[in-house]
Amino acid sequence: MSIKINHLTYIYNMGTIFEKKALDDVTIEIQKGEFVGLIGHTGSGKSTLIQHLNGTISPTMGEILLDGENIHKDKTKLKQVRQRIGLAFQYPEHQLFEMTVYKDVAFGPNNMKLSEEEVDKRVKEALQTVGLPETVYEKSPFELSEGQKRRVAIAGVLAMNPEVLILDEPTAGLDPKGRDEILYAIKQLHKQRGITVVLVSHSMEDVAKLVDRLIVMHRGKVAMTGTPREVFAHAEQLEEMGLAIPQISYVLRQLRKKGYCLPEDIYTVEEAVKALYAFVKKGEEV
Amino acid sequence: MIRDITIGQYYPQHSPIHKIDARVKILITFLFIITLFFVNTFTGYAFVIVCLTAVIRASKVPLKFMLKGIKGIFIIIVFTAFINVFMTKGEHTLFQWGVFTVTLEGILLAIKMCVRLILLIIGSSLLTLTTTPIQLTDGMEYLLRPFKKIGVPAHEIAMMMTIALRFIPTLLDETDKIMKAQQARGADFDTGNLIQRAKSLIPILVPLFISAFRRADELAMAMEARCYHGDENRTRMNVMVLKTSDYRTIILLVIYCAAIFLLRFAAAQFSFIW
Amino acid sequence: MEMIKAQDLSYEYIRVTELEQGTKEEKILALNHVNLEIEKGSFVAVLGHNGSGKSTFAKHINALVRPTDGVLWVNGYDTKHEELIWEIRQSAGMVFQNPDNQLVATVVEEDIAFGPENMGVAPTEIRKRVDEALKAVGMYEYKEHTPSKLSGGQKQRIAIAGVLAMKPKCIVFDEPTAMLDPMGRKDVMDTILRLNREEGMTIVLITHYMDEAVLADKVFVIDDGNMVLEGTPKEVFAQVEKLKSYGLDVPQVTETAYELKKLGISIAEDILTVEEMVGAICQLKSTI
Repeated sequence: MSIKINHLTYIYNMGTIFEKKALDDVTIEIQKGEFVGLIGHTGSGKSTLIQHLNGTISPTMGEILLDGENIHKDKTKLKQVRQRIGLAFQYPEHQLFEMTVYKDVAFGPNNMKLSEEEVDKRVKEALQTVGLPETVYEKSPFELSEGQKRRVAIAGVLAMNPEVLILDEPTAGLDPKGRDEILYAIKQLHKQRGITVVLVSHSMEDVAKLVDRLIVMHRGKVAMTGTPREVFAHAEQLEEMGLAIPQISYVLRQLRKKGYCLPEDIYTVEEAVKALYAFVKKGEEV
Repeated sequence: MIRDITIGQYYPQHSPIHKIDARVKILITFLFIITLFFVNTFTGYAFVIVCLTAVIRASKVPLKFMLKGIKGIFIIIVFTAFINVFMTKGEHTLFQWGVFTVTLEGILLAIKMCVRLILLIIGSSLLTLTTTPIQLTDGMEYLLRPFKKIGVPAHEIAMMMTIALRFIPTLLDETDKIMKAQQARGADFDTGNLIQRAKSLIPILVPLFISAFRRADELAMAMEARCYHGDENRTRMNVMVLKTSDYRTIILLVIYCAAIFLLRFAAAQFSFIW
Repeated sequence: MEMIKAQDLSYEYIRVTELEQGTKEEKILALNHVNLEIEKGSFVAVLGHNGSGKSTFAKHINALVRPTDGVLWVNGYDTKHEELIWEIRQSAGMVFQNPDNQLVATVVEEDIAFGPENMGVAPTEIRKRVDEALKAVGMYEYKEHTPSKLSGGQKQRIAIAGVLAMKPKCIVFDEPTAMLDPMGRKDVMDTILRLNREEGMTIVLITHYMDEAVLADKVFVIDDGNMVLEGTPKEVFAQVEKLKSYGLDVPQVTETAYELKKLGISIAEDILTVEEMVGAICQLKSTI
């Protein structure tokens, strides 16, 4: 399934003094099975954009096509759209409410009026995908660690078998351990299920390791799009937007500026170690 | 939808009404509501409307803004009218339909009750529209102080009001987010019968309550960390002092009250209902 | 002189979990014989993953929690003494994680006045302090705004101003940036650094972000209630493996240097910044 966003514009509080253009003529296409990172600082329009994809807000202008069909054409199908495009919000506290983890994850599939066996199958699959062991199934979601709560929340959306999964800042505020748990779970679910994943984040380090393509939002517009390599090559522009490239990329950039011959498209520690090792060793041999 | 409610909202503006001391304004509103129940003639209502219109004009708050507040209680107004029209017995029966009798007295009473209700809402919303929540709670605390001796926790009431006002926008925002999160999981709040709809509120209320409790817990700790220990030895940054204009307002208030009583007395004396 | 001194500081509590058959009680040692000293005017970071006991430690400094064993002195006051509680809270202010849940009033300046009002400061003096505190965090022009309309970073700066108006000698920050976006984080960190460098305020920063801890004079690492590492950022972050075993990160450059060293390249282990890394590589190149 492909998502096509055509000239989408959204204005908050239209006609009042608080009028604000949150999205300004945005055109994006997301292919089936893609892993996309959506980056931008607060107020860049990224949250407004993902809420459009999920149909929770409707565009002021423009359209969103799901497999070529406008999602707002038939309002009765909106519920179906929400199920095909799953949206997992930032804070699990906003959705966890049941007595047990199992029941909470079952909320989505139950709303879809599926058979009991089907619900059971989906809940277990979803919990497995996010890496939660069976020992937590009957626990209260409120007893879990922060990282586990977020995984339960993601499983709750995943259990609806969406074709696209949008994750809104899934790692914000987590400690390194919790963050790594979540990122690993997301990577796994993309690999296992082959579904389209849109990861919204402002952490370049997290995104760089995972995604195929980055979309950078700034002031309601798409400022850049391309592979992490292509996007990080524009470090100055990113900085102007209040975003930063991974720390290690700066080292390589500065060394290149000094005239050393080093690859410029490096943004993970592993790559940097490899490149710098080769670089230092090459000098020794000569 | 929830945001349309204007009761309790503040409308920033520079006007003589905004400048009046909060304590005086609370007193005016209190007396306004009481005197409203003394008015029983159309002449009386006309007088109240003229006075209120003058005050609204002086406050520079758009009338449209205030009428929006009435929209929220429209059902109550209609209900009041309905009850009065059909339940009032009188001599001048206009028509009869089964058990329902509509009398002239009924219609007149219904009109009066509705006018009274509308005036009540506009009058009290005028208080909150022209007074910042902080001034309002400070004023309340000050006015309730004499009652502390008989066990009225004046400071605590004011503190509770401040915190409530502070957290209303936060919790509204949170409700919105929770609704969206549950909608994304296929929750449906708009269809089904009454029981189904009530049940569909559980996924919203549970996270909301849990969050509210957590907030309360954290806020209590933060207040303690900032040395809060009730109103013992507590000072205030803004001390309330009555100005000359406030005394002038009090005199006007006395005249207004006198006029209302005079009208009521005249109505009784000459027994007219208009 | 030390601002804060802990001697065998321990905190134990009983956690009750509901099981299918009755309840289970277990003793949890949130802090286990912690010893540390924090100098006046210094900037100290306390690192640890969630549930490591670092927040419990922070609450001890403000006497919101009292030790079950050992002693904690704040500005010379023993926190065990109930009657000293207001002195302690005035000496050591506290800023919490969630910016929303620590602001009391509906107007910014009223909120900042809250602390001094509780302390019984005279009205004119409160006014002066509120204005000073707002200027110190760069939020003076927002004094008549309502907190709910501000961004997370701005709210957190209001919370800092609220503490400043109480004229404390030390401020404890309990994960002040965990809920903020990168811009808000930068604003808050800049404010914290300025308070330390310019006003000489003692700062205790509880965090799990290593890039914030790097800025401190001294770093303490807590894991499961034990103080496991202490030293300058360079000393602490050089121990990459150890930090990772405590569920913490190290800066990307430090990790790269560590990995290069493992591969046999003679590079310093205590690299913390981009500049240091670039310098080290250049030096390696020129010595060959």
